[in-house]
Amino acid sequence: MRRWRSRPLRHPVAESEQFRRRALLAGVGVGVALLALALGYGRLQLLLHEHYATRSDDNRIRLDPIVPARGLIFDRNGVLLADNAPAYRLDIVAERVDDMPALIAALRERVAISDDELRRFEAARKGARRFKPVTLKSKLDEHEIARLAVDRHRFPGVEVVPYLTRRYPFGDLAAHIVGYVGRIDQDDVDAMEARGESRFTALPHIGKTGLERYYEARLRGDVGHQEVETNVENRPLRVLRRHEARPGEDLHLSIDIRLQQAMVEAFDGQHGAAVAIDPRSGEILAMVSLPSYDPNLFVGGISFADYRRLNEDVARPLFNRNVLGGFPPGSTLKPFVALAGLEEGLITPTSTVRSTGAFRLPGQAREYRDWRAGGHGVVDLRESLAQSVNTYYFDLALRLGIDRIASDLGRMGFGRPTGVDLAGEARGVLPSRAWKQGRLRQPWFPGETVIAGIGQGYWVVTPLQLAQGTAMLAGDGWLRRPHLVRATQAGFGAPRVPVPQPAPQRVVADAAHLAAVNDGLVATMHGPTGTGQRAAAGAWYRMAGKTGTAQRVGRRGTERLDPNALPYHLRHQALFVGFAPAEAPTIALALVVEHGGSGSGAAAPVARRILDAWMGPPPAAAPAAEPASEAVPP
Amino acid sequence: MSAVLRWVGGLAWRWLDRVDLPLLAGLVAIMLLSLAVQASAAEGEWRPVAAQAVRFGVGLAALLVLSRLSPVTLRQWTPLAYLGSLALLGLVFAFGSGRSADLWLNLGVFYLQPGELLKLSVPMMVAWFLHEARLPPGWTTLGISAAIIGLPVGLTILQPDLGTGLLVGASGAFAIFLAGIAWWRIGLFAGLGIAALPVGWQFLMPYQKDRILTFLDPESDPLGAGWNIIQSKIAIGSGGLSGKGWGQGTQAHLDFLPEHTTDFVFSVYAEEFGWLGVLLLLALYLFVVARSLQLAARARDTYGRLLAGALALTFSVYVIVNAGMVAGFLPVVGVPMPLLSYGGTSAVSLLAGFGIVMAAGAHRRSWGG
Repeated sequence: MRRWRSRPLRHPVAESEQFRRRALLAGVGVGVALLALALGYGRLQLLLHEHYATRSDDNRIRLDPIVPARGLIFDRNGVLLADNAPAYRLDIVAERVDDMPALIAALRERVAISDDELRRFEAARKGARRFKPVTLKSKLDEHEIARLAVDRHRFPGVEVVPYLTRRYPFGDLAAHIVGYVGRIDQDDVDAMEARGESRFTALPHIGKTGLERYYEARLRGDVGHQEVETNVENRPLRVLRRHEARPGEDLHLSIDIRLQQAMVEAFDGQHGAAVAIDPRSGEILAMVSLPSYDPNLFVGGISFADYRRLNEDVARPLFNRNVLGGFPPGSTLKPFVALAGLEEGLITPTSTVRSTGAFRLPGQAREYRDWRAGGHGVVDLRESLAQSVNTYYFDLALRLGIDRIASDLGRMGFGRPTGVDLAGEARGVLPSRAWKQGRLRQPWFPGETVIAGIGQGYWVVTPLQLAQGTAMLAGDGWLRRPHLVRATQAGFGAPRVPVPQPAPQRVVADAAHLAAVNDGLVATMHGPTGTGQRAAAGAWYRMAGKTGTAQRVGRRGTERLDPNALPYHLRHQALFVGFAPAEAPTIALALVVEHGGSGSGAAAPVARRILDAWMGPPPAAAPAAEPASEAVPP
Repeated sequence: MSAVLRWVGGLAWRWLDRVDLPLLAGLVAIMLLSLAVQASAAEGEWRPVAAQAVRFGVGLAALLVLSRLSPVTLRQWTPLAYLGSLALLGLVFAFGSGRSADLWLNLGVFYLQPGELLKLSVPMMVAWFLHEARLPPGWTTLGISAAIIGLPVGLTILQPDLGTGLLVGASGAFAIFLAGIAWWRIGLFAGLGIAALPVGWQFLMPYQKDRILTFLDPESDPLGAGWNIIQSKIAIGSGGLSGKGWGQGTQAHLDFLPEHTTDFVFSVYAEEFGWLGVLLLLALYLFVVARSLQLAARARDTYGRLLAGALALTFSVYVIVNAGMVAGFLPVVGVPMPLLSYGGTSAVSLLAGFGIVMAAGAHRRSWGG
């Protein structure tokens, strides 16, 4: 310490010389480094110039997607069920924003942005590719657009983008048929990329449920693209090349929105489901699942509160009972069991069974009861249907055996999806030895065959399966695929292309067997003993039908199609199947009224109102004396 | 009239008499190029260009004032300047504000980056100390010098501002180097430094590790961390021999190039003016450094020599690191291109530094007053 403070032995000249040497050395070092840099830059700018020039051009020329208009959806009379409406959304390119919280705060002074939207935006940002716009708000009103336009230059990275949004003019009326579109989420993006369809991520929507989902590939069309030269603010300057988008195809449905409306009104606020099919073609005329929901809520991204309300509602408005729901068919299955008996030659229209009110298997104590104490006496096929005589079917089921029940009713469409053009269709349960062994690892017991004859026990059907079977009864024994879309059309003015349907299958060998069953179904509605006669009284046309009441479903062995579906609507389902007019049916119907009490008391009146709406006023009251068959909607 | 002119001229001449005109010319040339690039990057906005011009004006004023200081006065004030800038650094720790790190101190009217002051005060302090010590430096001298350098460098890196920290450290180290530290000691320190690299890696922030990994293979994550380097290289490479022309650089103007007015401004320059422009600017930088070293060698005392030499070499480190990083030759560290990048404190402190260089190497023009 002391040495340097006392400044001993300094050699100014030596120090100066030392410095000169070091400075010169350092100077040379700097020169060499700069020379090396100059050469490095020369390599980039001269030798590799071509490569980087190309990449620079690639940067300036932006590839923009051209978004096609989504196909429209019409009912059978050309009424629009799904429409495109112009809208504006607020997109943000995060890479162009310096201070996101400040920007959001500034935008919130001009545009209403909910916490939901903000959360969704933050989530979408994480997955988004660099420089890809992410939607903050999907619908701006006029005032918001105006306020943003004024301050636009102050918000780099913020874009107001015009696009076509989806609109469902009938709201909840056709929600379970048409379904809805929603914003493309990360799962959709991943799926598209896995299929090599990442260009479709440019679309504003993707079909999430219903026909919107089933026909997504046809409705969306194909995304085009254009090469755009961009200016300073990345705004398009001019289009260099354009590869047009192909608009989506329109769908023409078999649905008649007026009948749809009549169906909802016929339920009069009760919960349940109904399907009406044209037995001549398999076209679905109307299909409701009640309660329903407003699909418009989903289009721009549903709020968490709305979604929770719909999702946690015990009445399950989002659940399409017709294709997803499972019900015990109860007595509505009897016509089909009877048909199997006729076809197998075990019964004839005139053979009889004595009903005493209780049926016993030989050597067993358990009684299987008729609904009327004391029984119905001696009944033939017609009366067995009209009065819904359980004993007749206990006896028939035993004689058929479970194997023939399974194979014959399986041929009539039970236990397998109908193939309707909606996703996720349930298959229900067609009880059989194989099914029980596979599901419950138990052998089949004769008692189970007995109750299977009246649609109880393990049976689970969807309303659509029942309607398909009923349409088969009404349609000369042909099993047809129920479907919603009649034709597609590639834009206005293009020809309508019918959607090909699989060939109908003949499932009844002898038309006389069918006539015998249908005779019983008419007697149910119009005969003096019929369970449906009160509901059919006063109709100007003749109808055929069968009521059913399913009071419980065997707790062991019920196939739980959806565990959440069952608890609430398991008891007292009132069912009805039928068709009209009985002589030349134009409509076949299956419906379920949940907690509806009895089939005759709750379901049949609903069916009557629906059939009345379809058949229209009696011909005498019509202005011109039209034949009944022409009074129906086309 | 002519008398007034002569009076004004005489006054100006007296003010300029300590100024080294060749060095000043080199600096002014760089500043003019900077204004040109900033004007191009500003895309018609005059404000940023004017702001930059004002900063240059302030910096030149500082240069003039400092160039008139006698080296002795400067040396006397050195410990105070050093302690003062350390205190400011402490204040930044307590009340700092900044984008990603607490680098700035809000003084109400402008932001002060104490790191920039340290780039001057640390080599001053080292030179002050070595001025009194016996040279070439022995272990004791080296140890005390290391403490003088290490304290502010450590604090700066903790902020965390690795780039400034390394530059401050380099400025002190250059003073020691120029003081004639023995080569075997340099070798020893270099060896120790390399051995300590794996340990140092543990202390880097995650984003700093990212930068180094990205530097090693930028194309591995072209849309993520490698984006800056790739886009910068595209800008430079697409400039070619003579460049795309002033205001025609598409990379910066289309926002592909981040930080295109600050750390990556040299890429914009290289894109618009090409390799020829790069050669011109690098030549100007080399001239500035060489002339400063020459002035340093002329200084009358050890303090002036070491200080001026250290400042000149630090300046060269800026140039080499920045030009190397934007072209992907070096990892990305937050080092601006001196005098070319947009930014206040840096330009002012650099020009002030050249004022000190001129003061140290002052030699009255024989034909002056």
